[in-house]
Amino acid sequence: MNKPIEIAIEDLDLGTPATLSESTVTVHIDGNAVDVPAGTSIMRAASLAGTQIPKLCATDSLDAFGSCRLCLVEVEGRKGTPASCTTPCEDGMSVKTQTTRLDKLRKGVMELYISDHPLDCLTCSANGDCELQDMAGVVGLRSVRYEEGSNHLAASTDNSNPYFSFDASKCIVCSRCVRACSEVQGTFALTIAARGFESKVSPSEENAFLDSECVSCGACVQACPTATLQEKQVINLGVPTRKVKTTCAYCGVGCSFVAELRGDELVRMVPDKHGGANSGHSCVKGRFAWGYATHSDRITRPLVRETTDSEWREVDWPEAIAFAADRFKAIQQQHGIDALGGITSSRCTNEEVYVVQKMVRASLRTNNVDTCARVCHSPTGYGLKQTFGTSAGTQDFASVQKADVIMVIGANPTDAHPVFGSRMKRRLREGAKLIVIDPRSIDLVQSPHIKATEHLQLQPGTNVAVVNALAHVIATEGWIDEAFVQERCDVASFNAWRRFITLSENSPESLAEVSGVPAEAIRSAAATYAKAGNGAIYYGLGVTEHSQGSTMVMAMANLAMATGNIGRDGVGVNPLRGQNNVQGACDMGSFPHEFSGYRHVSDDTVREQFTALWGVDLREEPGMRIPNMLDAAVSGQFRGIYIQGEDIAQSDPNSQHVADALNAMDCVIVQDLFLNETSKFAHVFLPGTSFLEKDGTFTNAERRINRVRPVVPPASGMAEWQVTCALSEAMGYAMDYASASEIMDEIAALTPTFAGVSFDLLDELGSIQWPCNEQAPEGTPIMHAQRFVRGEGQFITTPYVPTDERSTRKFPLLLTTGRILSQYNVGAQTRRTDNTVWHAEDILEIHEADAELRGVSDGDWIEVASRAGSTRMRAHISSDIPAGVVYTTFHHPVSGTNVITTDNSDWATNCPEYKVTAVEIRPSSAIAVGM
Amino acid sequence: MTLDYSQQHLIKMANQIAGNMPSRENVPAQIVQHMAQFWTPPMRADLKKIAENAPDSFSDDVLAALALQD
Ligand code: SF4
Ligand code: SF4
Ligand code: SF4
Ligand code: FES
Repeated sequence: MNKPIEIAIEDLDLGTPATLSESTVTVHIDGNAVDVPAGTSIMRAASLAGTQIPKLCATDSLDAFGSCRLCLVEVEGRKGTPASCTTPCEDGMSVKTQTTRLDKLRKGVMELYISDHPLDCLTCSANGDCELQDMAGVVGLRSVRYEEGSNHLAASTDNSNPYFSFDASKCIVCSRCVRACSEVQGTFALTIAARGFESKVSPSEENAFLDSECVSCGACVQACPTATLQEKQVINLGVPTRKVKTTCAYCGVGCSFVAELRGDELVRMVPDKHGGANSGHSCVKGRFAWGYATHSDRITRPLVRETTDSEWREVDWPEAIAFAADRFKAIQQQHGIDALGGITSSRCTNEEVYVVQKMVRASLRTNNVDTCARVCHSPTGYGLKQTFGTSAGTQDFASVQKADVIMVIGANPTDAHPVFGSRMKRRLREGAKLIVIDPRSIDLVQSPHIKATEHLQLQPGTNVAVVNALAHVIATEGWIDEAFVQERCDVASFNAWRRFITLSENSPESLAEVSGVPAEAIRSAAATYAKAGNGAIYYGLGVTEHSQGSTMVMAMANLAMATGNIGRDGVGVNPLRGQNNVQGACDMGSFPHEFSGYRHVSDDTVREQFTALWGVDLREEPGMRIPNMLDAAVSGQFRGIYIQGEDIAQSDPNSQHVADALNAMDCVIVQDLFLNETSKFAHVFLPGTSFLEKDGTFTNAERRINRVRPVVPPASGMAEWQVTCALSEAMGYAMDYASASEIMDEIAALTPTFAGVSFDLLDELGSIQWPCNEQAPEGTPIMHAQRFVRGEGQFITTPYVPTDERSTRKFPLLLTTGRILSQYNVGAQTRRTDNTVWHAEDILEIHEADAELRGVSDGDWIEVASRAGSTRMRAHISSDIPAGVVYTTFHHPVSGTNVITTDNSDWATNCPEYKVTAVEIRPSSAIAVGM
Repeated sequence: MTLDYSQQHLIKMANQIAGNMPSRENVPAQIVQHMAQFWTPPMRADLKKIAENAPDSFSDDVLAALALQD
């Protein structure tokens, strides 16, 4: 029989959450003195002193509730037996946790619970993992005296959620699930319906879980002390027997997890309560949607083919590497070294990314390396570097708990960054104000117990106009934090900016027509932000993926500096990164003009350091970006590419152009888990590793470097970095590393912001936020605290320049794109999981007036056409978007959203303008596909 | 002169950079600096060649920037 997992001390459930008080009190628990912060519950103090008081309704992720009465204690000098979970410690208090009276009372409580509980412990799926069973043992319950009476044993089971079941017969109505859903997740999907004996847990309005508001985060499942709410995997496979700490590979929140296994079979993912980014919470993707890792579509042996119309041939690793190297060498000989390049992936580890860019620079001898972050956050890199001095969010996630006003711009945290979204919602429920700047009415605008103070529902493409107008009001109303500006910023640049921003062309009144936002709304939002106390900006791809993406990032940085909202808890400018390792991929030197740590390739001192360690001369001119490589391919100069973990044929704009470019190349190498749209154009397919097989680090949106530990061995037999190194060696440049940890050591040696980072330190501290170096040996949660990375903060004028992509008579609607909770990016992983029950296809949201004008009804198939192409999808009439705007997601290849997006891009970085495409919609039969 | 896709893209990028330079002072010099930082030498050379044959496709600031590169 499998042995149950041993619980380490730090993983003990202490019963109630920690308090933040700085003063301490001393209490005596069964005679032992213990010092705890004031306000700590007796239960938690006892746990810290090594005494576990029996409990059922308490758990340390939730506020104490005091309903089960199992945790009773005796307090010297007090009458009765107070519940230890709801009673705070007082200085000098003396508590007894074990007496005959308490034993008897607890046994009585347990007896009542057990009398209404199925007595099938031995065959129950939670056997060995059930707090009710444990507590019965702890209180020494041996028999139940009650005759069989009314009970809930025949209550039904709800299996509607694909990942967990709800067996009501086992419910003890402790309310932990209800509280987890409201306090931790913030969805308020569960209630206790009815009262007394009739009371029962119920998803909103007595729906099945799947039909309710439940977003399947699993917090209730984790909180449930019995087998009532339980993962179906545990029911099917049994309770886990070993565990490995690792990091989610979906979004940029970077949640820490404990992977729990039986042998090599993953049973469940449990969010790590010590996780720096998530503190024990997760979303549906990280907790449940990992089945793709063992999906039968996984390619685990290398494939090669002569031409893209021939069949793939399975080969061994040496043959695949030799095939790829021969092709690459032939291209170099015929077309020169700049005919090759590579793309790194934001889904891969820092170590995997680092070796790819190193291979391109040192082995292929070109700077033609770029990253898929080009299409999402490259404007963040440009804009924050110009203004603050480095490309990184300024805060840690916990900082939001200190914000008084939260401004969310072009981001949808509850869907795209759900665990951070929950954290933000908690702060909003506590009373922080919310300003949303978005063409769409995202969930945050109005959700249970949350209502945005202002929703500036602007026209797509007018972000800069709106932020300039906000800044105009702040500057003209005298709300500038002059002291901060004088002390911390470049005053000449500020003066130039002030002259610019106070021009009447930037007033809310002047910009109201173009942006569609009434001047009064701007004035009111400006006052809210400027007078916030702590004002924090969070933004997403709705900021960056525009022709003025970089300008907009600088405009937000100006706003934060002008109001002194930088350099302390509760403020800042924070990019919410899409994929898990966007920050890391950028940090690792994936851009064609920069080495790791954002240092330009033309910097002789930096280049010499790399040259010395790598033993090879390096180029001092920037290489090509992805769109430049694609253009050069179409015109015949660029002939071969190494694409790490990215499906550019689906994810990049103007799919037809991408296809033409890939088609024109002599050697396309794809390293990925599954054959995909891009691999249709590939000659070599190198099987990649899922996050469960990786050994390395990811860096999340708050610069937090988290360890990704191998849970199972690589299905292909090789780590991804080993494959890259093998190709590099076959091309004539050896990269010898014995382990991923050695790669990190090299990164640290060459990158000042990573100087102190090592796997050992990560194991010791759990995670580290860069910069980590001599000045900050344990990392830096909040940046620019004393001074900006560039010294003084630089104001930059940000004139609003309208995009070329405008609605016309032929294409009168503006299409904007986004994400939903259950799917991820192009969906390669999530489409291979049961998450498809929530989102089986991409849908076009359209305003009622626009639909009516075109004879489109809800659910109809429609044709969406732009100047780049056309595609078909189903329509949904929605009041979340204004008339004139339509919205869709891009998670399914069949809908080919990027067939219609254009090659417009950010002026500074070429980040594509996904958020604005002029389109026309017609009922599907009216126009032909591909027009 | 008929321009292919990549040439048209270069023209568009250059004009867009000129139109978006934050400061309206000394735009040509800023363009030169931006291109030196982010464009490959062949891209810069191509742009120059296109400008010689199709100067009408460019804004004055781009043309001035190209003249500065000499
Ligand atoms: S899974 Fe999450 S959202 Fe659904 S009921 Fe449980 S806690 Fe609430
Ligand atoms: S479902 Fe579980 S957590 Fe919720 S009330 Fe019942 S026993 Fe408690
Ligand atoms: S919030 Fe992001 S990192 Fe966390 S579990 Fe969900 S997908 Fe994973
Ligand atoms: S654990 Fe204290 S009352 Fe339930």
